[in-house]
Amino acid sequence: MSRIGVFICHCGENISRTVDVERVAAQVGTLPGVAFSTDYKYMCSDPGQGLLKKAIQEQRLSHVVVAACSPRMHEKTFRKAVESAGLNPFLCEMANIREHCSWVHEDRDEATAKAIEIVGMMVERVKKNRVLPTITVPVTKRSLVIGGGIAGIQAALDIADAGHEVVLVEREPSIGGHMAQLSETFPTLDCSQCIMTPKMVDVANHPKITLYTYAEIEQVEGYIGNFQVTVRRKARSVDEDKCTGCGICMTKCPQKKIPNTFDRNLGMRPAIYVPFPQAVPNTPVIDRENCTKFKTGKCGVCQKVCGPGAVDYEQEDRLIVEPVGAIVVATGFDLYSIEEKPKGSAIKGYGEFGHGKIPDVIDGMTFERLASASGPTGGKILRPSDGREPKQIVFIQCVGSRAREKGISYCSKICCMYTAKHTMLYHHKVHDGQAYVFFMDARTPGKSYDEFWRRSIEEEEAVYIRGMVSRLYQKGDKIVVMGSDIAVGVQVEIEADMVVLATAVQPQKGADTLAQKLGISYDKYHFYSEAHAKLRPVECATAGIYLAGACQGPKDIPDTVSQASAAAAKVMTLFAKDKLEREPIVARVREAGCVGCFYCQKVCPYGAVEEKEIRDRQGNLVKVVAYVNPGVCGGCGTCQATCPSKSVELDGYTDEQIVAMIEAL
Amino acid sequence: MTSRNTLSYAYYPGCSLHASAGEYDLSTRELFRKLGIGLTEVPDWFCCGATPAHNVDELLSLSLCAKNMELAEKVGGDLAVACAACFSRLKTTQHVLSENDVKRKQVEKAIDAPVPMKGNVKHLLDILARDLGLDRLKQAVTKPLAGLKVACYYGCLLTRPTDVPNLDCVEAPTIMEDVLKAVGAETVAWSHRLECCGANFTLSRPGVVIQLSHAILDSAKEAGADCIMVACPLCHGNLDIRQEEIEGVYDTRYAMPVFYITQLVGLATGLGADKLGLDALIVNPMPLLKEKQLL
Repeated sequence: MSRIGVFICHCGENISRTVDVERVAAQVGTLPGVAFSTDYKYMCSDPGQGLLKKAIQEQRLSHVVVAACSPRMHEKTFRKAVESAGLNPFLCEMANIREHCSWVHEDRDEATAKAIEIVGMMVERVKKNRVLPTITVPVTKRSLVIGGGIAGIQAALDIADAGHEVVLVEREPSIGGHMAQLSETFPTLDCSQCIMTPKMVDVANHPKITLYTYAEIEQVEGYIGNFQVTVRRKARSVDEDKCTGCGICMTKCPQKKIPNTFDRNLGMRPAIYVPFPQAVPNTPVIDRENCTKFKTGKCGVCQKVCGPGAVDYEQEDRLIVEPVGAIVVATGFDLYSIEEKPKGSAIKGYGEFGHGKIPDVIDGMTFERLASASGPTGGKILRPSDGREPKQIVFIQCVGSRAREKGISYCSKICCMYTAKHTMLYHHKVHDGQAYVFFMDARTPGKSYDEFWRRSIEEEEAVYIRGMVSRLYQKGDKIVVMGSDIAVGVQVEIEADMVVLATAVQPQKGADTLAQKLGISYDKYHFYSEAHAKLRPVECATAGIYLAGACQGPKDIPDTVSQASAAAAKVMTLFAKDKLEREPIVARVREAGCVGCFYCQKVCPYGAVEEKEIRDRQGNLVKVVAYVNPGVCGGCGTCQATCPSKSVELDGYTDEQIVAMIEAL
Repeated sequence: MTSRNTLSYAYYPGCSLHASAGEYDLSTRELFRKLGIGLTEVPDWFCCGATPAHNVDELLSLSLCAKNMELAEKVGGDLAVACAACFSRLKTTQHVLSENDVKRKQVEKAIDAPVPMKGNVKHLLDILARDLGLDRLKQAVTKPLAGLKVACYYGCLLTRPTDVPNLDCVEAPTIMEDVLKAVGAETVAWSHRLECCGANFTLSRPGVVIQLSHAILDSAKEAGADCIMVACPLCHGNLDIRQEEIEGVYDTRYAMPVFYITQLVGLATGLGADKLGLDALIVNPMPLLKEKQLL
């Protein structure tokens, strides 16, 4: 006979305001099998848990029901408390009388009656609970970091410095990401290259870091602690081991007219190239789409001039399988493009801002390249159209961001600050120039941020105009910007030499495809979703996968670096144990009943169902049945619901338990 | 879908086309006859309420348009509309009534008839560019408008309001240019093709109209246009009839003919000046057309 203890929580007033908790305690105390029942103001508090433990020991309880909030909130708390009192944690169940009862009802009597029913159901259910042993799985103490921007670099260095091996995979030919493109960074105006490039070198030289640039994730299999990741190393056409980085191939390449994407198409590059002079690794790559040798078969100059003989036109993509225990996703962001209307996207274009038809209308990242000492103009602010210095410059904020009618309703977070920075850089370089900023409102919530923004107005003489721009058009060599100043209530027209648009931050292209390979979730904008916005901000809902940086949402450098270190800390926590403990709520197959239809395999979102051969003593094959790998199983129960022969049961949610609950009603 | 060989529409000219924009009406009928597209004028049609009604009483404005649509159904086929303001109102009404059952019931009570929702409201441009198609339009050309540089002026109503399914992209439409290129004309890239001309402030606030229309004429001139093409009688009134006044205020000279789309397309199909009402234009287009050897 079970001796069940029932503990009713007031949740402060959250439950007791609507539910007569004392009556519930008294009523369920009379149910068969219940040995003890009581109520308490805060069951989750230390005295509350103490009450629970004391009762288990004094009353020799065999099972526990805690009637309180959603199990999402505190199931772990109470199971831990039960365990510390010497009971198996899975002999404890929660009855949700807050979200499912007190919060959604007003009538006290009816709510109380319902609460009694809910608790009664859980009492019947818990009688059927079995002792479940914790599952342990081994951990491969290596990690994969996807993305070689500042987020990926920081996470990789932190994990590697803790002594664990890291595989860093970057899609582009060099690591560095967007931060390597920036000129100076807010709020201190230190140069991005100066703080970025040493870190890039650290990554390349770190004995614990394996760096794969020009590589992409092909496939991800396995589960927390035991992932098998296939990395596609795209053919660089240059042997990394032989190349000395002398660069003669680049100077001799006859093709020199390919837009330099690193410089936002402001300059040109050859077909064999490194993205920028400080690239890591400093090994060139052949852009096969634009290379004469690959297009026509004629040329081959780079191979002829290469001293070490590193150029290899025959090189092919290579697939490498890396076993890792944890994955940090740090794929970063891209900017909303004003030049083209993104195909198949809900986002609408900005025809009224010239659709990229007006050459001197540029975006923020292009301005960064103009302002950067390593950029195409050597740091001089010059118009792309005619190379003149713009004397009147207009910055437009929130282009795409916070624009529901254009398809993006979120704030891109970094633009207020970088536009303030742009006005400063502009004023430092063009002393007699005037900067105007059209803005909706300035959002500068960071350490030393508001002071920075104020400085751009008070010391650097930027004119901020509150109001949006309706459209702009080319008039001679000027761009007429038509907007409104809502503070004064007048229409404004400015004849500008250059216009800089603070375009919306978006996830990288292909973010959805990568998420599907990893089995992690993303929001409607394709930003990756964290498990819990406040309490688990760097973890994915999928165990063993962590997030860092702007792939999760718009972020500035300080936030990105903090999150990258947090993700690294999570990985280190995972690697601190030799074996991982997993919740034993997994599906198991009753082999006698299984007919081997494998419907369960088709529906399993975790890929946990395997085939198992049953043989007789002579070794003859009797049948093939399903087997659920407990290390992979996520405990969702889809297989249980699908099985036509009722041969799969989810521990903790067996048919017997569910039927007991229904019968208690 | 209407068979490509038997295009036929219920024609809603709107008040302007029976008054100040008679040449738009005339050229529309002549051009469509020439292209073999049937137009049957909606019997007993009346004013759609244009701009004033929906600012005063939404139910009235919707009912006026709905009643016209109901009358049009007696003719059958999609509704062909020439005036940009009428088009915008009729299109908006159809959209609002298809999305909102409550409003549709109110309107049905007001007009004492069910609102027909099947037929489409189509601007002439839509019929020329899509129903007839640019290829067939090209085939109908006997006198290509070679060498004529045209500033295509959309104004504010052809592609707006933004939340109603529309003729073309709100911010970067190309349908007028497409049609004009099909008949052999050159189109210029200019900045003010979507700006408002002041519309029907023309009587109440002429100062506003003069300022706005001046900017449009200026921009077309600067872009090197020989003439402006419109698809709206209100725009035409402001740019053509007021042009001399604008020239006086700003002490400048444009002499910029302002054609209706049907007039230019009509010219290309070989229709004469008399059939297109070219003599009704205030800024005399004859010198330009003679210079370009189009007459």
